[in-house]
Amino acid sequence: MAAKYTLIGKPMPMTDAKSKVTGQGLYTDDISVPGMLVGRILHSPHAHALIRRIDTARAAALPGVKAVVTGLDAPKPYGILPVGHDEQVLQSGKARYIGDNIAAVAATSAEIAEHALSLIEVDYEVLPAFFDPRESMKAAAGWIHDTKPNNIEKEYHHHFGNVDEGFAQAQFVREESYYAGEVTHAAMEPHSTLAIWEPDQRMTVYSSTQVPYYLHRTLSDVCEMPMSQIRVIKPLIGGGFGGKSEIIPLEVAAAVLAKKAKRPVKITYTREEVFYAHRGRPITYVDLKVGLTREGKITAVAARVVQDGGAYCGYGPVTVLYSGALLGAIYDIPNVKYDGFRVLTNKPACGAMRGHGTVNVRFAFEAMLDALAHDAGIDPVDVRRRNLLNAPCITVNGLRVTSYGLPECIERATEHAGWNDKKGKLPRGRGIGMACSHYVSGAANPIVRSNIPHTTVNIKVDRDASITVFTGAAEIGQGSDTMHVQLTAEVLGVRPDRVHLVVADTDLTPIDLGSYSSRVTFMAGNACIAAAKNMREQILAGVAKKLGCEASELDLREEQLFVKGESAARMNFDQAIAAALEFQGGLVARGTYQPPETARGGKFKGAGVGPSPSYSYSAQVAEVSVDVETGRVTVESIVAAHDCGRALNPLTVEGQIEGSVYMGLGQALQEEMIWENGRLMNPTLLEYRIPSTLETPEIESIIIESIDPEGPFGAKEAGEGSLAATIPAIANAIYDAVGVRINSLPITPEKVLAALQEKQKRERAAATNMSGNGGGGAR
Amino acid sequence: MTLPAFRLERPARLADAVRILVAHGPEAMIIAGGTDVVPNLQMKLFSPRVVVDLKPLRELAGIEFTPASGLRIGAMTTLTAIMQSSLVRSKFPVLASAVGTIAGPLQRNMGTLGGNLCLETRCRWYNQSQFWRNALGGCLKLEGDVCHVAPAGKFCWAAWSGDAAPALLALDAEIEITGPAGARRMPLGDFYTNDGMSRIALARGEMVTAIHVPPRMAGRRGVYHKLRIRNSIDYPLAGVAVTMDADAQGVCREARVAVSAVNPAPLLVKEAGELLTGRRPSAELMEEIAHAAISTGKPLTTSASTPVYRREMLKLFTRRALEELWQNGRA
Amino acid sequence: MHNSATKEILRLKVNGEEREALAPPHKLLLDVLREDLALTGSKRGCDDSSCGCCAVLVDGVPTLACVALAASYQDCEITTVEGIAAPGTLTAVQEGYVEAGGTQCGFCTPGFLIATKALLDRNPEPTPDDIREALSSNLCRCTGYMQIYESVRLAIERTKSSQLDAVRS
Repeated sequence: MAAKYTLIGKPMPMTDAKSKVTGQGLYTDDISVPGMLVGRILHSPHAHALIRRIDTARAAALPGVKAVVTGLDAPKPYGILPVGHDEQVLQSGKARYIGDNIAAVAATSAEIAEHALSLIEVDYEVLPAFFDPRESMKAAAGWIHDTKPNNIEKEYHHHFGNVDEGFAQAQFVREESYYAGEVTHAAMEPHSTLAIWEPDQRMTVYSSTQVPYYLHRTLSDVCEMPMSQIRVIKPLIGGGFGGKSEIIPLEVAAAVLAKKAKRPVKITYTREEVFYAHRGRPITYVDLKVGLTREGKITAVAARVVQDGGAYCGYGPVTVLYSGALLGAIYDIPNVKYDGFRVLTNKPACGAMRGHGTVNVRFAFEAMLDALAHDAGIDPVDVRRRNLLNAPCITVNGLRVTSYGLPECIERATEHAGWNDKKGKLPRGRGIGMACSHYVSGAANPIVRSNIPHTTVNIKVDRDASITVFTGAAEIGQGSDTMHVQLTAEVLGVRPDRVHLVVADTDLTPIDLGSYSSRVTFMAGNACIAAAKNMREQILAGVAKKLGCEASELDLREEQLFVKGESAARMNFDQAIAAALEFQGGLVARGTYQPPETARGGKFKGAGVGPSPSYSYSAQVAEVSVDVETGRVTVESIVAAHDCGRALNPLTVEGQIEGSVYMGLGQALQEEMIWENGRLMNPTLLEYRIPSTLETPEIESIIIESIDPEGPFGAKEAGEGSLAATIPAIANAIYDAVGVRINSLPITPEKVLAALQEKQKRERAAATNMSGNGGGGAR
Repeated sequence: MTLPAFRLERPARLADAVRILVAHGPEAMIIAGGTDVVPNLQMKLFSPRVVVDLKPLRELAGIEFTPASGLRIGAMTTLTAIMQSSLVRSKFPVLASAVGTIAGPLQRNMGTLGGNLCLETRCRWYNQSQFWRNALGGCLKLEGDVCHVAPAGKFCWAAWSGDAAPALLALDAEIEITGPAGARRMPLGDFYTNDGMSRIALARGEMVTAIHVPPRMAGRRGVYHKLRIRNSIDYPLAGVAVTMDADAQGVCREARVAVSAVNPAPLLVKEAGELLTGRRPSAELMEEIAHAAISTGKPLTTSASTPVYRREMLKLFTRRALEELWQNGRA
Repeated sequence: MHNSATKEILRLKVNGEEREALAPPHKLLLDVLREDLALTGSKRGCDDSSCGCCAVLVDGVPTLACVALAASYQDCEITTVEGIAAPGTLTAVQEGYVEAGGTQCGFCTPGFLIATKALLDRNPEPTPDDIREALSSNLCRCTGYMQIYESVRLAIERTKSSQLDAVRS
């Protein structure tokens, strides 16, 4: 089947890899320009405080200081969602978390800028603060934002089918509470922004952003400059994972400083500041109830989810909606009830992080399904087999499923992991577990509602038959650039090295919404194919005139132009371009992508989030060993099968699957932001422990290709969907190994040991109560 | 984060280093590998006027052994050099294994034995940026007057968090200190004050120049167990080093147990040696020793892991170390 | 307190070239490389010597430039990612990382390349455990390390086969 294509489905090294291995590629902090100042931000030492007065006079008077700004210099509130414009770049009324942004300084050196910060005097009136979302949502007064009663940012209540009837049909019903600690992206590159004030009153902004066009819009709003006066350029990005997918305070602060100083200003966060900018995965409480019949059919799901959103809205409502929309939609579940609360607290804002909104509820659901399977005496794999969707279909909550590789994912992952040989047969202390997950291939509805296509890609062919693709899609390390090259070359039938890219520069590239919700391959990919097809038509039309035939009689492939049915080529690609230029003039093509109306979901409140043109699926098997005396879990291996529709580039698809599994592993066992009264106790990479090589097991990635009818060459997302399955797969394997279920993330050795001791106590008590009936039950 | 400004001295001879340290007293600070000092400087935990770089003192690096005088390791010997030394690995395995757990390979390339023995004590209320500490209002150790670990007291509980020292305590090592009066040696245990503030006993102008392990310890079997979340990079949350010499019948002739990362100093578990000498292995004995270990090791909430868990691991690691040594001894 | 320390001329040997920089004694090697010598390949990923993005070779030994005072390294041969191959060429290690997907976002890549080069210079045929151990000071948030191992394996194969070719010819 792959023989049909020259490049699609074949591994292609990333187009920017050489610039990365030579150290020549430039990330934002690597860029310096003449006259550049160093910017630094003053952060609030209080979790919740009124700002009575800010005196910047002494800082401004320090030699070497070129600008000092406060909220008064840029008072307009902004936020990634139209419903959540609740942050000022620098707060002028209230500080809402330790680390909130109060003032900023630009100076001729970092030392001077840091000294200047210490000279800024701020009078705070400290207010009672809220740190626990379950308490915060009961608050009668003193709210974090006056416009958000009870500190509830948003709540949603969805009910599809009838869960009461569903539970009544079930023979096994479980109710459990789950907890997931807060985790963060920890991209290796700390955020950085360089804002250059140009002599013609324009501003050029280089920034570590996944969303250059949202940044463009926000800078225009907050700096009160027309968009045409601002140029946003995305250089190389050192990882995003969602942490750069909304407007981060330093991006606006650098621009405001540059505008005031009339000079270039660069701000690069310290690692600690990255933790305060955060926007990661929130603390999540999940109260879950699931019903299962004796035959293993899921009859109903009810979930109450409380997310600790931090002090600002950010993507919060989207996160809590994703949690509901994707909770049950992976399986065929007729009755689903969801109550989701996004709560404000006096901590850094949470937001989108890889697997946005789906991860913590998936952990809860898949862990509970494992427990129910155990209750019913059914193999956990069989339970999943018995609840598959019959795709194509529309789920009970209105999601349109066009392709569904989950069945094959389950079969292949369990087969590769040796499930049948191992499940229930490993020695005590060793165990195997499985779980599934899914994710969107882009959101069918844009953040700012409009009918503008989500992506436009332009292609230009030059006199030397070189091809330039202009795309706004943000390469952040995931391979977006390479995908554009591959698709363009495939459609035009040329060598990939003919294709050059101009990427994510708002002066040059047409709009793309950015790298979030795993939308780039599906959306920019389809737009790129459309542009390339359009280019191909133009070329063939020109050549047809030259040859005096119909364009439909012509074919371009392998750098040659053929008349269909002839075995010898009529001309090479260079000649074809020369001919086309003669008849067409400059060759410029355009392609767009707009999700179809049928993919955009239902009409209820909150129905806009969750719908996607297509969904990816993953099934994973984890094998662990547990030291019963220390509680320490060692993950021995993970087999991950992921349905990405079609692997356009297996090299990068595997990299995305393995990277997702890795991030899931970190959340499962060792990553957690630790809070003490709103104070982050571990704002460093030493104490926020992302896994090193030594805790990371062998990860086997298996690509499943369900060939989506609307995806670019059938492709769907590959970058996020695998994360969520890893965590419950590990949790379920721990149960298999030692018979304890840990419903709280991360699953630290302490929690495992405590559970083992608790279990031992219970078993001893049971043994004394019913003497003669020792043993049995769980291992 | 910038470093505070200081003058850098790079003495070519040991005597020059001592002279500079004498001249500047507490305003001078030594840098060896830099893996601990530089992050601390960035956090503005100290603001020395003078920093003395010992790298030029090549004579301070090196590993020597003679059957008569035992092992001498210069303070500037890198952790990698110790870990890879076939001499250390074969004759002093507990030291090689403990050093091999320090941080990760790149940190060990830079870090030195002297530096690891002189680590700053660590506490989650202390090892934070200046902004973070200011927001807190400081702690007893720095810029404040409250210990957030034990608010009622006036004692700093910051944990001494090294891996080499417990192994060396278990090897009955002596530390060599050079100062204006020349070199002196003292038992390693006496070098540590067990006070999170002062941490080590160095007089004005003094510096650590070497470690000595007595000849009888050559070939001594020993193991080190370290509690950490990651198998690389992390500081210990608890550590236990045990050495033992037993006869063919499994009767213990000499044993030493030391714990680390649970007190403001690495400590020898004194009773352990007494309890073990002349005894054979038994479950009760191991339990006794494990209890001795936790009566010495008193972890508080200075790090991510809870005191309860760290105590439990201290017990477990002690027991496991003894089991290993007795088993291997008989084998 | 901000106080401007006296700057000194530092003489550093970087990537085989004698370089000079005017910097205060408290300036870190990483900052001198990035700011004064325009060698921005080495990255700053953390502030506490725990990520490995800044690694450079000092006399062949992988070293964290973020905790090294530049003035202390004036007598050493420093190699940064920019200097591991002749301009316009790639070494087998770099080719490995390009072709096997060892670099995604690329921010940790310079540190991994330095650690890999040092490993293979010392031990041309490392076991999988040797590789894991040698790279355990370097954090990568993108790859899950699998394609990094694959990159190292590819580099080893390439080096071996090119040595064989050299022997044959």
